[in-house]
Amino acid sequence: MKKELPKIDEYNFPLIYKHLANFIKIEVSKARVNSVVLGLSGGIDSAVACYLASNALGKENVAALIMPYESSSGAGMDDALKVVKTLGISHYVIDITKQINEYFTKERAIAAPDDIRVRKGNKMARERMSILYDYSYKLNSLVLGTSNKSELLLGYGTLYGDMASALNPIGDIYKTQIYNLAEHLDIPKSIITKAPSADLWEGQSDEGELGFTYETADGIMYLLIDKMYKPEVVVSLGYDENLVNKIYDKIKKSQYKRRMPLIAKVSERTINIDFRYLRDWA
Amino acid sequence: MKKNNSIKICLAQTNPKVGDLKKNIENHIEIISGAKNKGANLVVFPELSLTGYFLKDSVYDLGININTDEAAILEPIYKAAKDLDISVIAGFVEKDADFNFYNSSCCISKGKLINVHRKVYLPTYGMFEELRYFKPGDGFGVFDMDGVKVSVLTCEDAWHLSSSYIAVNKGAHIIIVNSASPARGITAGLNKFNSMNMWEELLSVIAFYYKSYVLYVNRVGFEDGIGFSGGSCIFNPLGEMEKKLDYLEEGVVSADINLDLLNNERFKTPLIRDENLNLTLKEIEGIINKGTIK
Repeated sequence: MKKELPKIDEYNFPLIYKHLANFIKIEVSKARVNSVVLGLSGGIDSAVACYLASNALGKENVAALIMPYESSSGAGMDDALKVVKTLGISHYVIDITKQINEYFTKERAIAAPDDIRVRKGNKMARERMSILYDYSYKLNSLVLGTSNKSELLLGYGTLYGDMASALNPIGDIYKTQIYNLAEHLDIPKSIITKAPSADLWEGQSDEGELGFTYETADGIMYLLIDKMYKPEVVVSLGYDENLVNKIYDKIKKSQYKRRMPLIAKVSERTINIDFRYLRDWA
Repeated sequence: MKKNNSIKICLAQTNPKVGDLKKNIENHIEIISGAKNKGANLVVFPELSLTGYFLKDSVYDLGININTDEAAILEPIYKAAKDLDISVIAGFVEKDADFNFYNSSCCISKGKLINVHRKVYLPTYGMFEELRYFKPGDGFGVFDMDGVKVSVLTCEDAWHLSSSYIAVNKGAHIIIVNSASPARGITAGLNKFNSMNMWEELLSVIAFYYKSYVLYVNRVGFEDGIGFSGGSCIFNPLGEMEKKLDYLEEGVVSADINLDLLNNERFKTPLIRDENLNLTLKEIEGIINKGTIK
């Protein structure tokens, strides 16, 4: 029995590609619209989502928002524009520096610098979400999510920020597999080779902040989640005990980010508890 | 009618619109007419083809008691089957007189209801929650359709090898498996989802070891992010795949099922003839009487 995270390779790629295209096409049409809008950071996840959407819906039905902050890396902007240009999709550049700085002018004086850094990161993610949803209305388009399975499981995202979307084609695909996908999608090399970063402050790196590499974490999460092995079983297969426990803990502690808000049950039939329909109900 | 001891079957790999009986019936009629034009005797649709699959609370709204006026909504299918002199197997939510709901498949032949299979094994694990809504059926029937003995197994039913064992020993020559199977699981070096691979291995085993034709009709489309895999196909009693529809795409395929091949295969490899039902009965009684199963 295979115990490694399965690679997306030249054999399974064609069907996965078709499956994800069908997902985007069908779920978009169920919402009675034709198009999607997504935030393009210049990173690999949003690039992959963008390529998938453009393939599924046609380039005229995908709009990219590039929303830099003053500290955002110039390389990120260049890479985002490379995606836009290669696919020939429409794009909008909206700088979010002014509103973020305006808000934090007063806050900065009373909070610790480390807190401010995290809060600014979250605020930026939510500002981008807010703009995306405004464009969703403006362009009559659904917001396409770009969070991968690794960050969703680790809770490495901002609730109601970058985690918010109407549809997410890559949310069941680990970061390591996103790299596999990117290679088969012919995504520009500069996007594939740079270190993963949420780009919330200068020089930020996901793996530096998390304290482990996605490749290692994905191998562990594949066994914990997909294979439903208990942590001690994963350790018995040769993984570092501290790391397995750390990752399992992160998954558990971020469960709230993956669920709808809790509703206090009062009536006989409560939304999402015993009032149960598909979103596709209508 | 059968020609030269063969029957022409059409597999209809559809994408049902969830909860929309009317629209799905229209789509069924269109496909039935097309199949007739190609000379088909039987058209098979997927599990819950008239309603969609992940129905949750809308099971309550979609249940039809086929012995009452509620069945009137199915009238266009009865009429098409009669006018076109054809048989149709379609999936729907059945409601009985005591208000129990079933995941059922009806066979309407030339305007008459000739069989209803109520799914027996209702998956309620992982992404599935059928037992929450449906009552299990109580058997695997074999029925006569134009002189051909047919049994219907619905999706999970087929994963229990006892169901096909019962069906063939009851006389089935053709086992029809209708399903709503989600695509899931990937493997490096494998050009299909793992679930597709499991199905094809299973169907081949049933066809070969139970010396039967196996027709698999699976749906496509998405319901809340879960995509159904298609890949409907026909296996002959040698365990070989004779026809197959594409994965993940709507489609229709017709094929002649040559029943003479059953004669030939069952003579050369008489596994069904030699099956010792008394031994099986004795063993099963032993298992049950041991007290491990009540």
